[in-house]
Amino acid sequence: MTEKKKFSKDIIKLESVEQTVNRIVNKLKSDVYEHLQRKGGIVGISGGIDSSVSFALAVRAFGKENVLGVMLPEKDSSSDSEILAKKLADKFGVKTVVENISGALEGFGCYRRRDEAMKRVFPEYNPETYKSKIEIRQNILKQNMPAIFSLTIIDENGTSKSKMLPMKEYLQIVAASNFKQRSRMSMLYYHAEAMHYAVIGTPNKHEVEQGFFVKYGDGGADVMPIGDLYKTQVYELASYLGVPQEIIDRTPTTDTYTAEQTQEEFFYQLPFEMMDLLWYAWENGYEPAEVAPALDITEKEVENVFKTFLRKKKTTEYLRMSPIRNY
Amino acid sequence: MTTITKVSISEKIKEYVKNTASIPPGMEVKNDTLIFDEGLFDSMGFMALISFIDEEFGVQPGDDELVVENFESIDAIVKYLSEKLSA
Repeated sequence: MTEKKKFSKDIIKLESVEQTVNRIVNKLKSDVYEHLQRKGGIVGISGGIDSSVSFALAVRAFGKENVLGVMLPEKDSSSDSEILAKKLADKFGVKTVVENISGALEGFGCYRRRDEAMKRVFPEYNPETYKSKIEIRQNILKQNMPAIFSLTIIDENGTSKSKMLPMKEYLQIVAASNFKQRSRMSMLYYHAEAMHYAVIGTPNKHEVEQGFFVKYGDGGADVMPIGDLYKTQVYELASYLGVPQEIIDRTPTTDTYTAEQTQEEFFYQLPFEMMDLLWYAWENGYEPAEVAPALDITEKEVENVFKTFLRKKKTTEYLRMSPIRNY
Repeated sequence: MTTITKVSISEKIKEYVKNTASIPPGMEVKNDTLIFDEGLFDSMGFMALISFIDEEFGVQPGDDELVVENFESIDAIVKYLSEKLSA
């Protein structure tokens, strides 16, 4: 039996980035060519770190001629996303297509359904003049309590207002917004089927295991090459693979709501560096007494975060489940 | 606030928790059971509890009131609501 390593801040640092990249690339080749019987990869690129690393891995695995980068902006997307995604594709010499999904989202009533719910919370909300986002405002280090979501609206003068979301409105806003990820998935599969390629999914380990993805949306893919990597490891790969520095330096956002919203605000409630280490500690059975001093936080804070992880893993199990068919 | 009203708040909250929380078979939820530590409510369950409190008692907790001390058990919720309703 191997002895458990002493917990430290460096515990999840990759021993060899090169070896990790080679292992993932070899598995990607074998999964896509042999297992899935497809001849290349489609990657939805957003200018974010996860899709950029997944894209760079796909290029290494299949060659630049056998990868297509698909940009899927809609009317709420940041303009930076498309610019950075194009810069990434140009750097790797890969062909791209831009598919604006705003029309499809209008057809689904994505914006209308979302805005109806937001107006029930803030009657003055006008989607033409206000920006909006959903946030979790609690500190998970300080207390063991399930997340409560707040809606924040920001007017033209930059004045913001926040209110806790009632469940009905929260569910409607999320359900409507999820049309975005599901429309993107549909478009990626259009290109994949038209080219006999596989869809290369971009979620990282936290997104998969904590359930920060949309079922049959960004969770809909044939392979997920970074699905077992912590976020800090994704950054290690990014530098090695030559992802443009502007993408590496960019704060990860959801790019889903009109106001700038970090992934930390919307879901994780912790900085990535700390979350990676705490998740590793939790899933490998480290005691709070060993973890706390290494991270300069209290044992109680580690316990609170572990309880939050357990709750998230349990309540998002539904997202990771395949349809139940053993009737 | 009269004792009777406090008792009726307690009964309503107890009934709500009993009917909606994910209570494992064989578990008895007492007034001081720590409902988050025991995993009886997830995020959706907690949001539904907040909506119930609003509909039933007209109480909408502010950001600064959304703390574990006010919601960690039936006793804590009753104490919080009693204070809010008598203010």
